Amino acid sequence: MSDTTNPSDSANPLGLSTIPSVSSEGLVPVGKRTSLRSYLAALWNRRHFIIAESRAKMSGSTRKNLLGYGWMFLNPLLSVLAFWFIFGFILDSDRGIDNFIGYLVIGVFFFQFTGKSMTGGTGSIRSGASMIKGFQFPRAALPISTVVRNFLDFLPSLVVMAILIALIEPLEVITWRVVLVIPVVILQTIFNVGLACFLARVGHKIPDLTNFMSIISRFWLYGSGVFFSIEDRLDKHPAILSAMQFNPMHSYLTLTRNSLLYGIDSPMWMWAMGTVWAFGLLIVGFLFFWRGEESYGRL
Amino acid sequence: MVDSELEHPNIIVENVQVRYTVDTNDPEQNAKGLRRIGNAMLGRRGQTTVRALRGVNLVAREGEMVGIVGANGSGKSTFLRNIAGVEQPDRGRILVRYQPLLLGVSAALQPSLSGSENVRLGCLAMGLNPEEAAEAFDHVVELSALGAAIHRPMGTYSSGMGARLRFAIALSARPKILLIDEALSTGDATFAERSERAMDELLAEAGTVLLVNHAAKVIQELCTRAVWMHKGEILMNGPAEAVAEKYRWWAWNVAKGKEDIADKLLHDVVSNAVKEEINILEPELIRDPIPRHAARTVKKAVKSARQVNRRNSAEEVEETPGPLLAAAESQTWPENLEARRSKAKFPALPKPASQAVSAPRIHDEPPPLRLRPSDKRVVLRAADPKDRASSVAAADDLTGRRLESRARQIADDRYEERQKLRQETDMAPQESHR
Repeated sequence: MSDTTNPSDSANPLGLSTIPSVSSEGLVPVGKRTSLRSYLAALWNRRHFIIAESRAKMSGSTRKNLLGYGWMFLNPLLSVLAFWFIFGFILDSDRGIDNFIGYLVIGVFFFQFTGKSMTGGTGSIRSGASMIKGFQFPRAALPISTVVRNFLDFLPSLVVMAILIALIEPLEVITWRVVLVIPVVILQTIFNVGLACFLARVGHKIPDLTNFMSIISRFWLYGSGVFFSIEDRLDKHPAILSAMQFNPMHSYLTLTRNSLLYGIDSPMWMWAMGTVWAFGLLIVGFLFFWRGEESYGRL
Repeated sequence: MVDSELEHPNIIVENVQVRYTVDTNDPEQNAKGLRRIGNAMLGRRGQTTVRALRGVNLVAREGEMVGIVGANGSGKSTFLRNIAGVEQPDRGRILVRYQPLLLGVSAALQPSLSGSENVRLGCLAMGLNPEEAAEAFDHVVELSALGAAIHRPMGTYSSGMGARLRFAIALSARPKILLIDEALSTGDATFAERSERAMDELLAEAGTVLLVNHAAKVIQELCTRAVWMHKGEILMNGPAEAVAEKYRWWAWNVAKGKEDIADKLLHDVVSNAVKEEINILEPELIRDPIPRHAARTVKKAVKSARQVNRRNSAEEVEETPGPLLAAAESQTWPENLEARRSKAKFPALPKPASQAVSAPRIHDEPPPLRLRPSDKRVVLRAADPKDRASSVAAADDLTGRRLESRARQIADDRYEERQKLRQETDMAPQESHR
C-alpha cells in the first residue's frame, strides 16, 4: 500500500479519481437467499448428506446400547405386546371397534411418526445450530433430515406391526388393498416434511413453542381417533364431527386401517383430503421456510 | 505495491456492522419500572446491545492469506461467520467470488462414528457427492496422517487428532476461500508442515485464506497481510510483519499490566494509520443485455449450455492463451452472458470427479456488464508506509496474480522460503521487545 496515490488505468478504468478501485464484477453477496430454483437444486445436491446424517445420528444413538440396531425392532415389538396385554388381556375392552388391538397399534405408530416429526421439526433449527454456524448449506436440510430420521425409525416399526397384527387374534382380513398402505405412508411423509419445514421457522422465531408442542400433539392425538373412533363419539355433535374430518391425520389413519385391517375400500374424499393436505402443506411449509433462510444463523 | 493486486478481489467487505441483543445481569443495565417487574417474572435481569462489528471494511484478493489478530472478544469470529454467510450482518454488505468455507465441519461429525465414517460424512457435508467423497477419502486420510486411529471412534481422539481430521476434511472440498478460526494451533509440528503445504497450494490456485490466530508468530510466518481487530473495528491493515509486530507489542504490554503504554500504543496506531480509500466499481445492470447473435434456437442453446458448463468448471486460465487473457477479463460479455443465462435455465450437470470443486461460483443472475463507481468508498486503515516494520515487510511481499501453470512452483518456493526463514529465526537469539 506504499504508493496508493499513483493513479492506474487498469485498476480504475473510468479514470475518475486517483483512488484505487476494485471491481465487484463476478462477486455476489454471500449467504443471501437464492432463487427457489437454485435453492431446490442445492438441496437436491445435498440429498446424500441428509441421508448420511440421519443414519449417522440414528446409529450414533443405537450404538451405545448392547443390542444396537435390535432396539429398532424390539421397541415396537414390546409396545405392541404392552397394548395387547393391557387392552386385550386385562381390560378386554374393544370399545365397539372390530380388532381393537390392530386399530390401536396402527393409530399409535402412525401418529407417532407425525408427532415426532412435528416436535423434532420445531426444534430442528435450534438443535442444528452448530451446523448452521459451521458451514453453508440449504437450511431446509435440517427439518427434512428430522423427518428422514423419523422415517427410518418408523420403517422397522411398520414391519413389526404388520407381522404382529397378522399373527395376533382376531386375524385381519387380507386383501389386495394391503398395498394401499404404501401410498398412505408416502403421503404422510410428504405431509410431515411440509409440517416440519413450517414449524421449523415458527419454532426458530418463537423458541417457547417447543414447550407448547407436546400439548398440541396430545390434543391432535385425541382428535385424530387414535384410541377411539371419533365418528362414534361425536355423532351427537355433527358440527364438530365434520370439522374433525378435515384433520389429515384422521384421513391417514382411517385409510391405513381400512386397507390393512378391514380390507374395505375407503371413501374417495379421504384420499383427496390426504393428498391435498400433503402437497398443500409441503408447498406452503417449504416456501415459508425458504423465505426465512437468511435469518437462521442468528439464534 | 503492484496495482494488479487490486484487480482480483475474492472478498469485499463494506461497512459491515453486527449487533447482538443479549441478556445481562449487570446491575447498571437493569430495566426500569414496569419492564423491570416483567423481566423479574420471566427470570431475566436486563438486556444490552453488544456491537460486535462496528463498520468493518476489508478487501482480500486472489492468492492472499490474510491474518486476523486481536484480543478475545474483538469480533474476529463474528467477522468470519459473516464472511462465510452463515450469519447476515445488520448493516453493510459482503461480496465474495466463491462460497467461502468456514473450517467448521466438526459440527457435522459424530463422535460415536469412526474416523473413516466421519470422513465420508464430512465430505458429504462439504457438498461433495458420494463418488467425489470416495475419491477424496485417501487424500483426507493421508493429509490427516492418523494411521490406524482412523478406524477408531472419533470420540476417542485427542483434541489435536480431531483438529487434524477436521482440517483434512475441510480441504477435501477444495475450497477457494477458506476461513480458519484458531484451528491449526492444536496440531503438532509434522501436521503444521502438511497443513501449511496444503494451504499454499490453495493460495496458488488463486484462492484466499483468512486466518484467525492469537499467536502473532504464526501470522507472521504464514500470512502475506494482516489486520488487527479491536472492539469490532479494524485498527490496522498492512503487511503481516508490521501488524503482527505492533499487536504483539500491545498484547505484551497489556499482559504486563502496563495499561498506559498499551493505550498510548493503540492511540499511535490509530492516529498514524493512513486512511486508504478504495472505490468499489459497481456492476451496472442493463435492461436487455442479449446481443442478436446470442439469441439462438432452444435446441442449440441446450447443447451449448452443456459445453459451456463443462468448460466453466475447468480452469479458465489454462485454456486461454496469454494475450487473449487481458482482453477476456475486461469485456467478453457476450460469451459470458450466454453461459450464465443457460446456466440458470438448466440444472448443472454433475461434475466429473476429477474436477471436484465444491466451491462453485454462486451466481444467481446474469453477470455485471459495465462498471460504475459506487457512491460510498471503503476506507481501509493501512499501516504507515514510513513505518520501519512496514517497509521491511513490503520487500518480501508475495501477493500478486498467479497463473495456474505456475501454481505448484510457487507453492514450493513459498514452502522453501518459510523453511529457511524458520531456521534463521531459530538460530537467531530471541530479541526482546524492550
